[in-house]
Amino acid sequence: MMLKRLFKAAALAASVYAALAPTSHADDYPSKTVTVIVPFAAGGNTDAFGRLVAEQLDKRLGQRFIVENKPGAGGNVGLGDLARAAPDGYTIGMGTVSSNAINQTLFKSLPYDKEKGFAPLSLIAILPNVLVVNSEKLPVNSVEELIELLKKEPGKHTYASSGVGTSIHLAGELLATKAGVKITHVPYKGSSQAIMDVVAGHIDFMFDNIPTAAQQVKAGKLRALAVTSLDKASLLPDVPTMDSVIPGFEATSWHGIFAPAGTPPEILEKLSKEVQAILHEPEMKAKIEGMGATPVGNTSEEFASFIKDETAKWAEVIKAANIPLQ
Amino acid sequence: MDIFSDLWLGATTAFQPINLAYGFVGCLLGTAIGVLPGLGPTATIAMLLPITFGLQPESALIMLAGIFYGAQYGGSTTAILINLPGESSSVVTAIDGYQMARKGRAGPALATAALGSFFAGTVATVLLAVAAPPLAAVALEFGPAEYFSLMILGLVASVALASGSLSKAFAMIVFGLLLGSIGTDVESGTPRYVFDVPQLYDGLNFVAVSMGIFGICEILRNLEHEQERSVGVKKVTGLMLNRDDFRRIRGPVLRGTALGSLLGVLPGGGAMLASFAAYAMEKRVSPNRAEFGKGAIEGVAAPEAANNAGAQTSFIPMLTLGIPGNPVMALMVGAMILQGITPGPNVISDEPALFWGMIVSMWSGNLMLVILNLPLIGLWVRMLTIPYHLLFPAIIGFCCIGAYSINNSVFDVFIMAGFSVIGFALSKLRFEPAPLLLGFILGPMLEENLRRAMLISQGDPTVFVRSPLSLALLVAAMIVLALVLAPSISRKRDEAFTE
Repeated sequence: MMLKRLFKAAALAASVYAALAPTSHADDYPSKTVTVIVPFAAGGNTDAFGRLVAEQLDKRLGQRFIVENKPGAGGNVGLGDLARAAPDGYTIGMGTVSSNAINQTLFKSLPYDKEKGFAPLSLIAILPNVLVVNSEKLPVNSVEELIELLKKEPGKHTYASSGVGTSIHLAGELLATKAGVKITHVPYKGSSQAIMDVVAGHIDFMFDNIPTAAQQVKAGKLRALAVTSLDKASLLPDVPTMDSVIPGFEATSWHGIFAPAGTPPEILEKLSKEVQAILHEPEMKAKIEGMGATPVGNTSEEFASFIKDETAKWAEVIKAANIPLQ
Repeated sequence: MDIFSDLWLGATTAFQPINLAYGFVGCLLGTAIGVLPGLGPTATIAMLLPITFGLQPESALIMLAGIFYGAQYGGSTTAILINLPGESSSVVTAIDGYQMARKGRAGPALATAALGSFFAGTVATVLLAVAAPPLAAVALEFGPAEYFSLMILGLVASVALASGSLSKAFAMIVFGLLLGSIGTDVESGTPRYVFDVPQLYDGLNFVAVSMGIFGICEILRNLEHEQERSVGVKKVTGLMLNRDDFRRIRGPVLRGTALGSLLGVLPGGGAMLASFAAYAMEKRVSPNRAEFGKGAIEGVAAPEAANNAGAQTSFIPMLTLGIPGNPVMALMVGAMILQGITPGPNVISDEPALFWGMIVSMWSGNLMLVILNLPLIGLWVRMLTIPYHLLFPAIIGFCCIGAYSINNSVFDVFIMAGFSVIGFALSKLRFEPAPLLLGFILGPMLEENLRRAMLISQGDPTVFVRSPLSLALLVAAMIVLALVLAPSISRKRDEAFTE
């Protein structure tokens, strides 16, 4: 009897509490620490963008935004954690062209529901890749000359990448398909060892993220032929775009911020607006441009349709290049 | 050209009170995290990155560099005292260092590690100041074919790491190679032995494996024979080195420094090989060969000198070419980029105060470390007198935190636990773990470079003998192999080492 009454009281208390408890309204969000998952190692580009934005969100929203690095399996480990987190706005995460547009095709199975996916908040920055050649090994001054040489000597020339299925590798495959040339892909674990072997002349050419490659170009160790963004890059203003030689050639490394699917729309909107505002601050813009990237800060809808286009584009390249699925 | 004015510029930067202070903080932190098992410089630097935003670039990098080489000093402490190498470089220090500690000579072992590291650090810093650009050019000569041959030499030399049966050492190397093949195949992107576990796609984590197989396994073994252990600890004799010790470590420190400085320049595993190679070489040339594996002071001096020299010279590719050779250097590059400095070949001319300031700070940092560490030896040795039933839960606790902090992943903690059981089984069967770990480290690099070299040469295997450097390394490997297999030597070896 006693027990039954106790149960009743508890049930009543619970329902009253449920009615009074703050449902996830955007007004009081965030009321505690927010975790920002970065699915790559600390010190890389994604980590840097994530930390820059988290620091500003921290200041604007008055709660701690803590970056947590969860590297592994090309970003899949961290995104798996993000997908499993409660969709309440207290766990958000970074994603990139690899983790959110390429892995969808490249991996046979992902540690999260591919269909459900994630709720995109905003695209933070686009980092162009640059096509660099070892000027002593390849006597070419332009993309046209490079293509001509590659056509004359099919299969004889090598290009390095930071790993199978990275945006750097797929840029090479895009060149092979669009220009109709045969080149040998030599993958590395990460781009630093790869660019070193291009500088040393063991490998002929490579597409690389712009900040590190630009330094080698400025020091005269490598020759930059073209950048892979549609606009010219601020770090290498004299270098033409791939698009001007092969129309439609775009292969950039982009970095955005996501929430787990099912996060309340008011919270998504609030976060997205804040990130957009952060990326339109002149100081932030200057910082990102200083890293060689283009700051974006678009709306959730714009970001979602951008991802859709990118996913379709890379699926096609992966199919055309016959890259085995992982 | 004018080295003295450059060094003067460096000194005026490094000896600014603020930079000295940050250097000291870095060294102190580095020593602390080096001593705590598993908490490595990579995790610490990653955590401190955001704090460095607000600092001057010089102060930030001096502090981060201090953490890195401070950890090299601290890492040997746990390896010697409790057989727990927190870093790949201190794995070999544990072999003889721990045996010295069990004989009550923990003090001299720690002093050897500190003094050997200081000497090596000083020499390597001078080398960095006078010869960074030419050494970087040597590093560029190493392409995939040369790396492959270097790894072969390393693998062959690793047989010398074992002090027991030769066939068991081979078996352990092969087991290590197999463990190393877990993860995504770099060339095709195909996952191997991952069983759809995403955490295995990047392979097993070295720190988790080595903490399990050495540290936790040692705890299991000690709990089995707790009586023996407490007896061994009571007779701690003398904290400093005696004259005989000094005489014995002179040669090993010099050779270790030379080998470490050279290998450290090579990005992608060179520095990791340094301590293994130095130990293997000492075991061949030392007059006290028979003592190796049983607490030879040379077996502590040589690898400690080599790993500190290697840690110092591994800055060369990063500072002169802008190319990071290991994860810690990659973080330093990240820190520089966030400070608005893109590391590259122009850093020396564009940011001379930063470049020379860092070099001078490395020497002052090494001096601070030796001053900091020598008095601490007494304290560390007294730690051994803590009752084991209090000490071991603390060690296990720190190991778990350390394993988790590598990738913020619980999975790595399970890996560590699994390997402690494997390590225990191996030690019962009298298999030694050091060759296993070397196979595990070298295996993936060996395979990647072999396949990469073959891709570049379009399937022509003569590439390995066409390059003079690669040919020389292969010949050296063959000589070492012949020495190991030569019946007379191997008979002597068996007499000396098997029980």
